[in-house]
Amino acid sequence: MLTGTGPVDEFLTHAATLDAFDVSAVTMHEAEILQATYEIRIGGRQVSLPPGLHPTNPPTFVAQLWRCHDSPWGPFALAQARIGSRSGLRPRGFVQGCVCDNDAATEALRRGWGFPVQRGSVTLLRHYDATVATVAIGDHQVFEMTALDPDPLGPDDVSYSTAANLAQTPRGLRLVQVDVDVTVQRAERVKPRLGCFDGVRWGVHASVVPYHPVSASTAVGAITIQRLRYVSKPDELAFTSTEAL
Amino acid sequence: MKFGIFFEMSTPRPFTGGIEPQVFMNALEQARLVDELGFDWVWAVEHHFLEEYSHCSAPEVVLAAVAAQTARVRIGHGAVVCVPEMNHPIRVAERCATLDIISGGRLEVGTARSSTWTELGGFNANPDDTKKTWDEFVRVLPKMWADEHVSYEGNCFSMPERNVLPKPVQKPHPPMWVTVTSPGTELDAAERGLGCLGVAAAGYQEQERRTKEYFQRIESCDPVGSVVTKEVTTLNFLFCHEDAGHAAKMGMGMVGQFGLTNSHLMWTREAFPTRAYQSLGNLAPKTDRAKTGGPGDAYGIPEGICVGDPEIIIAALKRWESLGLTGINFLLNGLETIPQQQVLDSLRLFAREVMPQFTTDHHAAVQ
Repeated sequence: MLTGTGPVDEFLTHAATLDAFDVSAVTMHEAEILQATYEIRIGGRQVSLPPGLHPTNPPTFVAQLWRCHDSPWGPFALAQARIGSRSGLRPRGFVQGCVCDNDAATEALRRGWGFPVQRGSVTLLRHYDATVATVAIGDHQVFEMTALDPDPLGPDDVSYSTAANLAQTPRGLRLVQVDVDVTVQRAERVKPRLGCFDGVRWGVHASVVPYHPVSASTAVGAITIQRLRYVSKPDELAFTSTEAL
Repeated sequence: MKFGIFFEMSTPRPFTGGIEPQVFMNALEQARLVDELGFDWVWAVEHHFLEEYSHCSAPEVVLAAVAAQTARVRIGHGAVVCVPEMNHPIRVAERCATLDIISGGRLEVGTARSSTWTELGGFNANPDDTKKTWDEFVRVLPKMWADEHVSYEGNCFSMPERNVLPKPVQKPHPPMWVTVTSPGTELDAAERGLGCLGVAAAGYQEQERRTKEYFQRIESCDPVGSVVTKEVTTLNFLFCHEDAGHAAKMGMGMVGQFGLTNSHLMWTREAFPTRAYQSLGNLAPKTDRAKTGGPGDAYGIPEGICVGDPEIIIAALKRWESLGLTGINFLLNGLETIPQQQVLDSLRLFAREVMPQFTTDHHAAVQ
């Protein structure tokens, strides 16, 4: 069984610090979501994950962008760069990079759930013919995608995996399991066209190159970031290192 | 109740050092033994690119060897992926007919559409289309086997008039099945007169509902061919040992390894939003420890799993039989967790102590 082989230190550049695990669930209604999945080169599937996670076959990169019009921190947009993985038997999106355009949301997402958020700009513009997404840190664009030809899907046809954030916690360095539930109102499948990708600046491991598009979808719905329930050690498999909170 | 074995060719890393040939040779040895012991079926899956989980990408070759090395057991092509990027329907018809000839008319033809992005993406197949192409395949295959000349104008392929050769030994054609993972596929099977080849074990209650609905629906079926295959089987694990504690230790190790490799597959629904895949298609038999009450409880064996001493396994099988199932297929190993000799001993003990409790004419004739 393959596991990650990347040294944990390599994933700490933007790691957040949690002072406690007592965050409450937060729901953002009428949020817009773009999720795009790309296959990445098999040669990088193990080094792009810490030893506590298993790669998928094929390995995948997932860009997940949210545009939330209302939240406890005001409107914000968030761009997550994830690597598809398994923690034990469970699907997890290992969040390696995050960009948010709202200071209060940045702080709350870092301190509450351990998202490795950097401050930047995120746009997510949905049109009838296409959705355009951009992510920038300072003046540097790290991601640009045009998603074409929306094709309606049912609300249950799209799925989103749970996030795993590597963060400093009161129990030490841990993978923080963040359950994000999405109640989809409407969804479309779209065809992704990747215009720009600078993974390293976004926080993604240097080995990760999205080269083969799998799928993309846009959706509108309620996003709930749940309270924290589990953490596990990044250098030990979940079977033996999972801790209930 | 009929019994079969089910080959995934699950192969542990590293893939060097002869492990792949060993897995295949072990499987053939198991096939020869179950033929002697009176089992009913040997099935081989078709999977592609599924490292560790299944290296059985050319089942027709495996089954040709099984056919050549056995005399009685039926040969289950379980299942041919009915996606034209993977298998052209004419080639499927030709290969199956040839296997039926080589096996002396022992072929069972399973059909499927693949559940993983790993496979569909690897062949650049569109997940939206697989139900449609499967339906075309299952309707046209019987014609290719039974009719002297066939022409076809369809969506996924077309052909001018030809005589697809050879023709199968079984007339008008071999029994046909469909693998069932997604809820509702059992009704697709029933409506087409196909056997229900369960590869994702449901719990007792869900299996009972599915089986009941299948047998109701098949009474009014519009068969795709000239043969109605009225069967419902499910998938299970098998490790039988006189010492239930040892059986639990070895058997649950196999179950765990299989479940782990299964959970690491990239399911189509996970990667590709589509209406065509409503469930993950998880093949691992459910091992819900919350649902207990069986005689294997003391050993931590989940409900319905055929791991234990003969008494435990008989109890589990009696329960499955009471739901109306006509057969059960067993996975015998996972990542070679169980040494081959113990797998063979388990089969012998099962045949000696368990099978007589479920005697069919076939079993009786062999034993």
